[in-house]
Amino acid sequence: MFNAKAKSEVLKELIDVVSTLVDEVKFNVTKNGIGVKAVDPAHVAMVDLSLEKSAFEEFKGDDSELGIDINKMREVLKLARAGEIISMDLDEDKNRLVMSVGNIVRTMSLVDTAGMSDPKVPSLDLPAKLAVRTDELRQGIRASESVSDHIALISSPDGFEMISEGDTDSVNLKLPKDLLEELSCKETVRALFPLDYFSSMIKAVSSAESITMHLGNDYPVRLEFKIADGKGEVKYLLAPRIESE
Amino acid sequence: MGYPKVFIGPMVPPTHGDTSILDSPELWGGATIEDIVNYRMQLVRGMYKTNVYDANCGGRIVDMTREISLCRESPDTEALFTRKPTSRLVLDDSVQPMGPSAPLKNMDLGTLKIDHRLDRAYSDGDLKASEAVISLHDQRIPVTRINRAFSAGVFGIEKNRRFVPTRWSITAVDDIVGKELREEVKDYPLINEFRIYESWRLDNRFMILMMPMSWKYELMEAWYPDTVWNPRGKRIVIYASHEGYKGRSKYAEIGGCYYAARLAVGEHLTGIRRQAAICIMREAHPGYIMPVGVWNVRENIRNALSKDPRKFDTLKEALDYSSTRMAIPVSRWIKNSSLLKDALYQKRLEDFLVA
Repeated sequence: MFNAKAKSEVLKELIDVVSTLVDEVKFNVTKNGIGVKAVDPAHVAMVDLSLEKSAFEEFKGDDSELGIDINKMREVLKLARAGEIISMDLDEDKNRLVMSVGNIVRTMSLVDTAGMSDPKVPSLDLPAKLAVRTDELRQGIRASESVSDHIALISSPDGFEMISEGDTDSVNLKLPKDLLEELSCKETVRALFPLDYFSSMIKAVSSAESITMHLGNDYPVRLEFKIADGKGEVKYLLAPRIESE
Repeated sequence: MGYPKVFIGPMVPPTHGDTSILDSPELWGGATIEDIVNYRMQLVRGMYKTNVYDANCGGRIVDMTREISLCRESPDTEALFTRKPTSRLVLDDSVQPMGPSAPLKNMDLGTLKIDHRLDRAYSDGDLKASEAVISLHDQRIPVTRINRAFSAGVFGIEKNRRFVPTRWSITAVDDIVGKELREEVKDYPLINEFRIYESWRLDNRFMILMMPMSWKYELMEAWYPDTVWNPRGKRIVIYASHEGYKGRSKYAEIGGCYYAARLAVGEHLTGIRRQAAICIMREAHPGYIMPVGVWNVRENIRNALSKDPRKFDTLKEALDYSSTRMAIPVSRWIKNSSLLKDALYQKRLEDFLVA
């Protein structure tokens, strides 16, 4: 059973975060809220999202799975104005989701979730943790996009650095410790990432003002940020490039 | 004169009988550059000045040009020119070489043998051009015939129909069909191993590397000195364009050949119902003295994929083999290749799961 009402921007944020990696996704509904775990088709990145019951205006649910076609969901969300309430009702018999926006009722057939198994989340011991302002990261990415297709993230006891090196040009974003909201890092760690993934992840952050990063040497990066006024949390995991082979 | 003013008109050979080979690149597999020049020099291109927006209401010559494009066999055509045709060959990287041309004064057609599949798309003024093209390709109409009709403005929502310059129509058709096939490919399981397919024609070497990974596609072209894209160079230059799983939004840097090859790859993968990441390497050696059009790329890829591949368990073995077949060292291909670098250096999350 699933029956909920939410502000359109809460759902929009949820969809933006998930759609950076996949076109179809499984929502795991429990009595406490919604959870999403998905891996992109190339198995390079993962999203692990949870949205508490309290993020919704109304929420009734028990254990069920909803196979969502992201593009269809987007179409529905486009119908809503900011602040408008969208209601969702799972019709289990017909395997569809009935959504209403204003005076419109949109029924949406659900995708078969049989082939969508929950991905295994690697348990990682990442030694560096830091929190960076979202707009700083965005600007750094904007500067890097024309220069290279990958980006190095470096954390040291003194601060954070983001370096993008192309054949001829390079970009360096340096944030000393006092410009970071949090830094816990005993020794310098560095890893290289595909810029297209990193960039679309950062661009999917809409309301969070800062992003927490966990980094290790040549290890995946874990990005964490809040959604829905703190009533939801996103963890992105992105695998590194290792060129020294 | 410039767009939206264009020249349209029939391509007329001076002989009777079946002349279809002259404008059917699908049949030019074994042809040499001399053969191709020879075919094209036999076709006189009638030039009639019109506006692209007059595809539906441009008068007699416009109507007849459209009718020819709908035929399954070229009709007997009589053309009257205002002057003697120029005898030169017009070359283009996308379009097959064009022979002599002359302004068209009048024309007459013999019996028309209309292809009912093309005619059905033409008669449906509510059918989008992209849907028409996809459905016709599905019905196995050769790509170059779809191009011809597309160029004559016979597809699409009726009020939007217009003439399309030949080179645009070629890429449009390759892109429309290629995208459709790509989306279908994404529903299929991955191949189980690394594969290499090859084709050598007109002093072009094509090598297709298929990797057991989700859809990604790249075409790299190495032009030797004295070839089309490197006319006065001293060194080989390599150009590359690629797309990830979601495709690309900007026109490929390397041009129409990107889309022609992607279409051929899509045809193959949908045929075997498998998904793969595709990296194509092309060496254009000095014997490739002039551009013959993107059909050369499309047909080379089709030719390569019609043969049995060599199969390898690892990327390294596949690249080792490729180094025995291509003149340019693997390291240089890797340096230019976004896909190869990705396959070699990009880790997957599974690599970090503790066993």
